[in-house]
Amino acid sequence: MLLSMNWLREFVPYEGDAETLGAKLTMLGLELEEICRPFDGIRDVVVGHVVACAKHPEADKLSICRVDVGTEILDIVCGAPNVAAGQKVAVAPVGASLPNGMTIKKAKLRGAPSHGMLCSEVELGLSEDHSGIMVLSPDAVPGRKLTEALALDTEVLDIGITPNRGDCLSVLGLAREVAVAFGLPLRLPQPKTPENGQSANDLLRIDIADGELCPLYQGRILENIRVAKSPDWLRFRLLAVGQRSLSNIVDVTNYILFGLGQPLHAFDLDTLSGGRIIVQPALPGEKFRTLDGQERILEATDLTIRDEKGPIALAGVMGGLDSEVTAGSRRIFLECATFNPSVIRKTARRLGLHSEASYRYERGVDQGIAEYAMESAAMLMAELGQGSILPGVVKAEPQPWKNAVLPFRPQRCSDLLGQEMDPAFCRETLEHLGCEVAVPSPDTWSVTAPSYRRDLEREVDLIEEVARIYGMDRFEPTLPKVSRPLTRSEARDSEYTFWKRIRHWGKGLGLNEIIHYSFVGQKDLDRLGLPQAERLPIGNPLTSDQDVLRTRLAPGLLNILRNNLAQGVTGLRLFELAHVFHADASQETGANEPARLGILLHGDRFDTLWPHQQADAGYADLRGVIEHLLASLHLGKARFDREEEEHPWLSPAVRLTLRGENLGSLGRVKPEIADYYYARKDVWIAELDLDRIRSLAEGAAIRFAPLPVFPPVKRDITLAVPFDLPAQDILECIRGMKISILEDAELIDVYLPEQDNERRLTFRMTFRHGKRTLEDAEVDKQRDAVARHVTATLPVRL
Amino acid sequence: MGNSYFYPSLARDAGTCDRGQAAPLHGAYAGENVPNPLPQERNNQVSVMNLIAALESLAPELERGLDQALDLSKLEEIRVEFLGRKGRLAQIMARLPELSPEEKPAVGKKANEIKARLNTLFDAHKHTLEKSGEKAYLTRFDATLPGALPWLGSMHPISQVTEEICSVFEALGYDVVDGLEVETDFHNFQALNFPKDHPARDMQDTLYVNEGVVLRTHTSPMQVRSMLARKAPPLAIVAPGKVYRRDSDMTHSPMFHQIEGLLVDKGISLRDLRGSLTAFVRRLFGPAVGVRFRPSFFPFTEPSAEVDISCIMCSGKGALHGETCRVCKGTGWLEILGCGMVDPNVYKAVGFDEECTGFAFGLGVERVAMLKYGIGDLRLFFENNVRFLGQFA
Repeated sequence: MLLSMNWLREFVPYEGDAETLGAKLTMLGLELEEICRPFDGIRDVVVGHVVACAKHPEADKLSICRVDVGTEILDIVCGAPNVAAGQKVAVAPVGASLPNGMTIKKAKLRGAPSHGMLCSEVELGLSEDHSGIMVLSPDAVPGRKLTEALALDTEVLDIGITPNRGDCLSVLGLAREVAVAFGLPLRLPQPKTPENGQSANDLLRIDIADGELCPLYQGRILENIRVAKSPDWLRFRLLAVGQRSLSNIVDVTNYILFGLGQPLHAFDLDTLSGGRIIVQPALPGEKFRTLDGQERILEATDLTIRDEKGPIALAGVMGGLDSEVTAGSRRIFLECATFNPSVIRKTARRLGLHSEASYRYERGVDQGIAEYAMESAAMLMAELGQGSILPGVVKAEPQPWKNAVLPFRPQRCSDLLGQEMDPAFCRETLEHLGCEVAVPSPDTWSVTAPSYRRDLEREVDLIEEVARIYGMDRFEPTLPKVSRPLTRSEARDSEYTFWKRIRHWGKGLGLNEIIHYSFVGQKDLDRLGLPQAERLPIGNPLTSDQDVLRTRLAPGLLNILRNNLAQGVTGLRLFELAHVFHADASQETGANEPARLGILLHGDRFDTLWPHQQADAGYADLRGVIEHLLASLHLGKARFDREEEEHPWLSPAVRLTLRGENLGSLGRVKPEIADYYYARKDVWIAELDLDRIRSLAEGAAIRFAPLPVFPPVKRDITLAVPFDLPAQDILECIRGMKISILEDAELIDVYLPEQDNERRLTFRMTFRHGKRTLEDAEVDKQRDAVARHVTATLPVRL
Repeated sequence: MGNSYFYPSLARDAGTCDRGQAAPLHGAYAGENVPNPLPQERNNQVSVMNLIAALESLAPELERGLDQALDLSKLEEIRVEFLGRKGRLAQIMARLPELSPEEKPAVGKKANEIKARLNTLFDAHKHTLEKSGEKAYLTRFDATLPGALPWLGSMHPISQVTEEICSVFEALGYDVVDGLEVETDFHNFQALNFPKDHPARDMQDTLYVNEGVVLRTHTSPMQVRSMLARKAPPLAIVAPGKVYRRDSDMTHSPMFHQIEGLLVDKGISLRDLRGSLTAFVRRLFGPAVGVRFRPSFFPFTEPSAEVDISCIMCSGKGALHGETCRVCKGTGWLEILGCGMVDPNVYKAVGFDEECTGFAFGLGVERVAMLKYGIGDLRLFFENNVRFLGQFA
């Protein structure tokens, strides 16, 4: 809301500066966003008196003027057709700059020296008028600043208004707050509306279909109006609050809207037919052309203002093109109404038609100010349009406003705010805010809220007013005791706590945590061949890159891979913890949100080139990371099995299982997909079920195993193994022998001879006896037994 | 077996200090090719004089040998040659039984003298050699060679700030809770006193899945779910998480993070709210930070307030080096939190007694992270450039 200091002072005699006012309003919950100086661009322009004006001897269209600017008389060459001796004009002297960025310099025009410029309104940024120089009132004083001569609104506060304070969307509304804040009186000039002619009620009648939708609809009729340009004061005042001047009649409606907060609409009465205004919902499918020239198709939820033939306005949102006031309009019907806020909001949102009027109606317009606003507008229109007001108000008010009556318990107020609030202060505050306070009992008061404070609905709203005026910043801080029921200590740790543990693990291991948007584009999911049925599209996406919730982490990880590769990064180790989203009709929200851990490795295995042998990260790296995670969660050894079925985006794809539970998959992104993400090297990616891992980890406990007393004996065995036999099978075969002294068996080497269809795998077995030192002979015997068993059971050779 | 795990200290001489590069020293070969220390006598008869002469010649010979031994393995060879089980001293001693009993003590005594002398010579040389080896190692050592750097991981700055904030409240006795990111209109709006078709909804431009299901626009639905689950006070929770708005520009991201707090108990007041948040803000930004409460509006709290902290860039002065502070734009204050006393309509929606007392607050994690780390561009958080992430290791 733009609040002009000059305009404000018409309602309240505030003498302080804009900064002080802004700071005070901020602390009252009306936050100062900015102090604007809309006419700062013409601060150097002064009033001049054209003392003499003669044709330029060398140029037909130029005049040479002698201009009195108070302190001196300047020679100025002017090209405007309307310049004449005796005029008071706007002069930009040498050194002045103008809103269009021009700086005035000494010049010679066809040999004639010029020491300034006489300005048009367009050059001053005051209007689009470039037909000639701006001619000021004859009583303007030469040398005075133009901003002062025109009494322009040079200081305007931009105040942020919260949705509950619709009453502050006007100069009057803010003036009320200023009056309370500084203890100043509020002034409201009383409009005089001389009437003559036939009774307005003979010409027009109002019918309201439903008082819930339109509690009040009233209007005035004006005759013999001359639609014309508005006077300067009105044009420039509207300009100061960002409004374009249209005509005297329309400008008055805007002036009242900004001044008093009451939206108004002016119809050309001669375009209306039937002598009747009907307020009722639109007929579904009905077409209507709004003021902006657009044809709208209406629905039954839209409230319309109609005449006999059909809609003439969308109630509270926008008028119709056909009934618009034009230069030739002579008879005006001035509408002043209140509408149901949520009805106006629905229509404005549905049509994307947000006007100053609908903005205020949505937030609640004061039914109590309606008549005053209408009378003020009618008086001003009659004056500026040189017309007359017909006697009588055409009016229907099916639901007169009833002020809310609220209880107020001073003790509850003190309790909620945490300190004793003086009842006298409470009462005074509420009264200053316009409430009537009755005290039937000292414990519970009865407070009547003013019509303009529609937000005061409950006792707590009054308590907030007391705190707000007292000063929210004045309450001494105290730290409350936080009590916890005993049962809380039995509660499961939150997801946050477990994720925190995983995050620290990832960081410690050397992975970089990323956070990607929860949404991606449908095409990102298509690229990975992810099923359609489980997707949750966003109903109103911002872009097609973000039009569906991700069903996997992979698309996001790959996007981040791409971003980084585009920056020239050669090695990446990323991880992400997030929920993914699957359509699930059995959920209250239609969505299932499983938690996932994603890990991506790509490119350089080491950050530094030395002292390592640099290489690319591969399966062993990714698997190692996962095994490290499971070990750090005390989950034991998991199975990694090659997926037999074709995976949509991984090749090879590996399934991770632990105690029979599927924990997710890992693998290499198919090269043709990786290619899209600029990856020229293998991309290894894992996506794990974080919910299952969490459940398993919650059940895992550390059990101490006594340290062995006797030394181990190690024996290696090297086997020739066909490529299609997984190493895991051999290990399981060895372990399956259940040799009591076999403590562990692990793979320690893989040798791939060239041109061979077998590989050589070396396994190391560790033997140990809990109660004595083993002898070589008995260990050798067991090793030989293993060799025999493995070669007999599996297609392997020694 | 044991020897194969023993590496002489001189192995470090390799400079790069790699394990296993030096060959293990095996003691087993000692003695095989050691020359006989005694002149072969014709009748194989030894004399006392011969033996004593042989013994006495050992020391100078050892000295000569030691002069040639420039490394520890050579030194070990010499030790074996002279002092080993089958070494020259041992060989001479092996002849002792050939002497008559009266001759033995003199030679035995001499032998012991010589053995002690040899050991002394040997130890002295070994010590010298070790010292020079250590000296050579130190000469070649270059402390400026780069380390074998393990991967340097990082937690996303949003995660770090979230954790920091949550831990402040956890220490105060709050529980951390989680919730749904796809929410019902009821939990996200209606229960929080945002009626349908109310302008308060304009405060949060909403992304929706369908009529009645939205991407949560704030973390506040977790308040609602927590109260519904607990059924009655007391409760004290903080709820971090992702939130979504239909808004994207320099200063708005369609996804960002909030942390919500809620405390409901008997006798909780606005002063308690003020105290709790003052404590929190000081914990996060330091004890010197100024805190300001000013009235505001949130549908689910009444009274509502915004909490400002004194600008951490210009210390609340509004100007820095004579220029308007760009962080607080000259106001000296930074908006950091929204808060208020829980609105009775919220209690009504979750079935709590409407006369309950409690407060709620919420803050944007990105904003705190930007202030804390001096990050100027919101989009950096979601681009996940590793050169950005790596700074938060």
